[in-house]
Amino acid sequence: MTSALATRIAEEYAAASAELPARVVSAAHRELAVKLLCAQGLPATREENWRYANLRTLERVRFAPPSAQPGGAAPEAPVSESALPPPIEGYLRQTFVDGVFAPELSSDARRAAADGTAAREPVRSSDARFALLNDAFADDIARVHCSAGSEPSCLEVLFVARAEGSRASSYPRLDVKVSPGTRLNLIERHVSVAGDANFVNAAVEIEVGSGARVTHFRVQQLGARATWIDTLNATVGEDGSYQQHLVQLGALSARSTFRVRLAGPRAAARLHALAAADARQTHDAYALIEHAAPHTISEQVFRGIAAGRARVAFNGKVTVCAGAPGTDSRQSLRGLLAGPEAEIDVRPQLEIHTDDVRCSHGATAGKLDESVLFYLLSRGLDPDTAQQLLKWAFLADVVAKIDIPDLKRSVERALAGRIEVAAELKELL
Amino acid sequence: MSALLKIDDLKVAVGEKPVLNGVTLEVGRGEVHAIMGPNGSGKSTLAHVLAGRPGYTITGGSVTFDGRDLLALAPEERAREGVFLGFQYPVEIPGVNNVYLLKAAYNAVRKHRGLPEVDAFEFLGLVREKMKFMRMDESFLGRAVNEGFSGGEKKRNEILQMLILEPQLAILDETDSGLDIDALKIVAQGVNSVRGSERSIVLVTHYQRMLDYIVPDFVHVLVNGRIAKSGDRTLALELERRGYEWVSEAAA
Repeated sequence: MTSALATRIAEEYAAASAELPARVVSAAHRELAVKLLCAQGLPATREENWRYANLRTLERVRFAPPSAQPGGAAPEAPVSESALPPPIEGYLRQTFVDGVFAPELSSDARRAAADGTAAREPVRSSDARFALLNDAFADDIARVHCSAGSEPSCLEVLFVARAEGSRASSYPRLDVKVSPGTRLNLIERHVSVAGDANFVNAAVEIEVGSGARVTHFRVQQLGARATWIDTLNATVGEDGSYQQHLVQLGALSARSTFRVRLAGPRAAARLHALAAADARQTHDAYALIEHAAPHTISEQVFRGIAAGRARVAFNGKVTVCAGAPGTDSRQSLRGLLAGPEAEIDVRPQLEIHTDDVRCSHGATAGKLDESVLFYLLSRGLDPDTAQQLLKWAFLADVVAKIDIPDLKRSVERALAGRIEVAAELKELL
Repeated sequence: MSALLKIDDLKVAVGEKPVLNGVTLEVGRGEVHAIMGPNGSGKSTLAHVLAGRPGYTITGGSVTFDGRDLLALAPEERAREGVFLGFQYPVEIPGVNNVYLLKAAYNAVRKHRGLPEVDAFEFLGLVREKMKFMRMDESFLGRAVNEGFSGGEKKRNEILQMLILEPQLAILDETDSGLDIDALKIVAQGVNSVRGSERSIVLVTHYQRMLDYIVPDFVHVLVNGRIAKSGDRTLALELERRGYEWVSEAAA
């Protein structure tokens, strides 16, 4: 980070700090976060794990959220419910506009219950430096705390970005805590309304108790000029399961950084991610899964398409600690180059400190198979339809795993904007 | 009436290597021709070149289909004009549903012929009928194109596609390879069912076995990229008895 940027962040924080609520992050912790940021600097593309991230927009961003801009928030047009994605059947919704809870756009009023909880002050690894920025500026928090119950809780948290990044930033903050034996189905979506050049910096903390099961659907559909930076930290206890479905569609530049720690025996983590980037979009992800206990299970599946001049990168790392014999880890990372100027980088990394492991890791990146394309042409399909069809097929496995019908349809519709035959395909599939 | 397919002194190379060295062949409407020959004689190349597969260089000669210059057409145009290639190795396409491909192909051909597209319901009726004829299981409908199919299922699927697309010219490349006798009979029954005055068939095969079930009007032997000998079906039987060598020697 240039020192000019660090200085600006520190200055903006100093000007905004009086407005930033302690119930979200304590003042002491905010100050510590700013101090650490200034000392460590924000990540830069010369760093190995950040090579593909597009961080140029940071220079033009005003970091304080709208609620803490000096001189008070400039009035923004209210967000109407019709501008939001339709609700998902069976799911209550909490909507946050520029990071702040909007009760009038929410169907779930239970949020207040968790409000009294003391702010959790997470420890940040060096790959989580953008989360420090969130710690410093976050002006609200979505707390999803589930305690025992036989039925799974179903909740959607919708983060709506409205402010242009040149005026203010948006800090979605999500804190998920699932008690032992409890089930949670959580949808997390990020969309833009009005402006599409938002700067969104999300921080997500997840704690899956022993024997608990969390299925987390994440859909990023921000506007065409938005920047999305996302840091997710999850811990899974004994016999617990954390499954994430990530769909990256929007934003000009999106970067996700995950760290999932399998802390208890037989804990499992599964990440099924897809990215469809076009034009000049960048979709970049770094996913680290740490096997820290015996007989833990992990799976990473990634399918990414880069068309136009887009860049898609997925760096999936698995570390198996000495104390994690019997680890079972599987990785299947595939990238599809769909434009002469597009770029794909999929990288599997494995670091093993014990002998007793079963790991299967595959990564491929390439163009559409010519022989498959010819087969379709020989049946009379025009080249464009054939290519669209194969792109759709490439993503089909990961889309099929989104087992909430309304959400799957919504993802398919969004993909249909990218892949024209998709709408037609659905007729028969 | 002029021949449906007219191949005149066709020369084809893969890279620098010549594969076809002047093939001349006429296929009339309603005729069934078998092209036989030893491995590497250029049989499959001929089939693929007719369907428009990229990667081949035409170095001489011409191909006329229904009065048009076939080689000037893109692969999908050839398909819509009524040329069908049954693949020796049908590709697996995970994620693409069989029925979707069939319907997209069927409607592409219909659109080209100025016919209205059919709806899903009507189309499924047609597919079910043809599947029954090919003794294919209902579960096929929900599966991805050729994914996890046995060799025999893949070949049956090729013939099913042919039955649905109703091409003017079907080129079947080693459709008999990898089939057991029961599957071969089903495939042959499928092929025979489309025989008629309007449909021409070119069977590319290494063995005469399939010709017991699909009796050709003409048999040609391809050797070193040229048709070395032509005859009726007795030629196939003679090849079976004597092997390919005597033709190769005679042609040399």
